[in-house]
Parts: sequence; structure tokens; C-alpha cells
Amino acid sequence: MRLNEREEGLMIAFQKGDEQALEGIYLLLRQPLYSFIFRYTRDEQFSIDIVQDTFVKLQRYKHQYNPKKGKLKSYLFQIAYRLMITKLNRRKKWRTLLPFLAPAQTEELHHSDKMTIRQAIADLPETQRAVILLYYYHDMPQEEIADILGIPKGTVKSRLHTAIKKLKESLGGEEFESRSF
Amino acid sequence: MNQDPFKKEQQLSRKLDEYHIEVPDFPIKPSRWGRFVHFLASPAKDPIEPLISAADGFMLIKAVPIIGTAVIAIIQALILL
Repeated sequence: MRLNEREEGLMIAFQKGDEQALEGIYLLLRQPLYSFIFRYTRDEQFSIDIVQDTFVKLQRYKHQYNPKKGKLKSYLFQIAYRLMITKLNRRKKWRTLLPFLAPAQTEELHHSDKMTIRQAIADLPETQRAVILLYYYHDMPQEEIADILGIPKGTVKSRLHTAIKKLKESLGGEEFESRSF
Repeated sequence: MNQDPFKKEQQLSRKLDEYHIEVPDFPIKPSRWGRFVHFLASPAKDPIEPLISAADGFMLIKAVPIIGTAVIAIIQALILL
């Protein structure tokens, strides 16, 4: 059974009242959800909170999901992305008004190569960061990314190309010229 | 035709592939108490830091206790009078 079909099957079972099915969905999708949020924010606790809140919202609005409209994974990513943006915007407001109350971003120490790519992604504008993370690390087609982020497909395509260009500049232009073999 | 933009970007793909992350173990249900504790424990920005990092700010930090003492002394004098 394909992964998508398995997820859809579990979701249908959950909508019919099978609470165990939710656990199955959680085990299948918590990792990609966490990975996306963490690569975007680099905040472990924040990422955990968003994933948990995503599943709380899924439970609350389980009957709103319709498999004909899209994949369950996209649906969850859409919920997670919106929750993340709302929470980040709230934090920015708190930081402006009362900076000593809003949690400050901490950075972990890593190998220098990993720091470079992590920093390059972190330095991308938020709009481009989401696109590149979803496209590269989660193999999502542009149509799905457009649905998750609530933007036109053309915008996804242009942001993707701009993000690639910016990453290459950040990581060292000459090193990334395409070579023919 | 949708061409994968990463087909020509093998070097960049290799760099992106280096970005591994470890997913911690956490339950599906959030704990309000746990979140509150994490919020209290999380580092926050020092509101005084922007003041003392500048030269003027440092002088201000030194002057504030002296000015404060003077103001309190004046208020006490006025009350006694």
C-alpha cells in the first residue's frame, strides 16, 4: 500500500471514530512535520509545540478534511504552516513591546559545513525559505506547495528559483556553477 | 513543462543533503504545564543590554543612581519643609 493511501485510510478510520488511527497518522507524519518546522525556525521546543498543536487542530476539525481536495500530508502541512506563522508573528509583536518576555532564539553548535547550509537557509527571506524546504526536503510538487502556502503556483516557481540563486550566492558563487560531464 | 531546477544544481543538492536533523521524542498531546516551564526557562533578551552597550548608555547607568538619590533627597527636604 502506498504511503498516501495508508495515510488516507487512517484518516478515514479516524473520522469514523477510530482513535487508534490518529496514533498511526501521528507516527507517520510527526517526523516530516517537525523537520519542516525545525528547519524553518531552528527552535526545537517551538517545533514540538507546533506539531502538537497541529494534531490538536486535526482532532478538533477532523471532519473538515476531504481526501478529494488533497493529500492528508498537505492538509497537515497547511495547518502547521499557518500555526507557525501566527505564532512567529505574535512573538515578533512581544519582542517589540516587551523584549524580556519573548523567548530569544538560541543556536546550537554544529559542524561548520552544516552551519553554513543551515545559516544559508535561515538567511533566506521567509517566503522563499518555506518554498525551498517543502520542495527539496519533502518532495512536494509546486501545486501542493501553492496550496499549503496559499499562493499561486507561478509565485512558488519564481520563489523557488530566487531561493536557489540566493543559496548559491550565500554558499559561494563559483563553487556552484553547473558543470557538464 | 515542469523541469526540476535541482537537476542542474548537483553541488547545491549535496550541500542541502548535509542538513540532517534529529527528531526528538515527544507525545502527541501538549502539556500546558510543560510549555509554561519551558517558557520560563527559555532565554530572553536583556532589556538593559542595548543601553549599556553604547557609550552614552553606560554613562546613563552610572548617572541614574546619583540622580535618583538627589531626587529622593529633594523630595524629603520638601516634605520636611
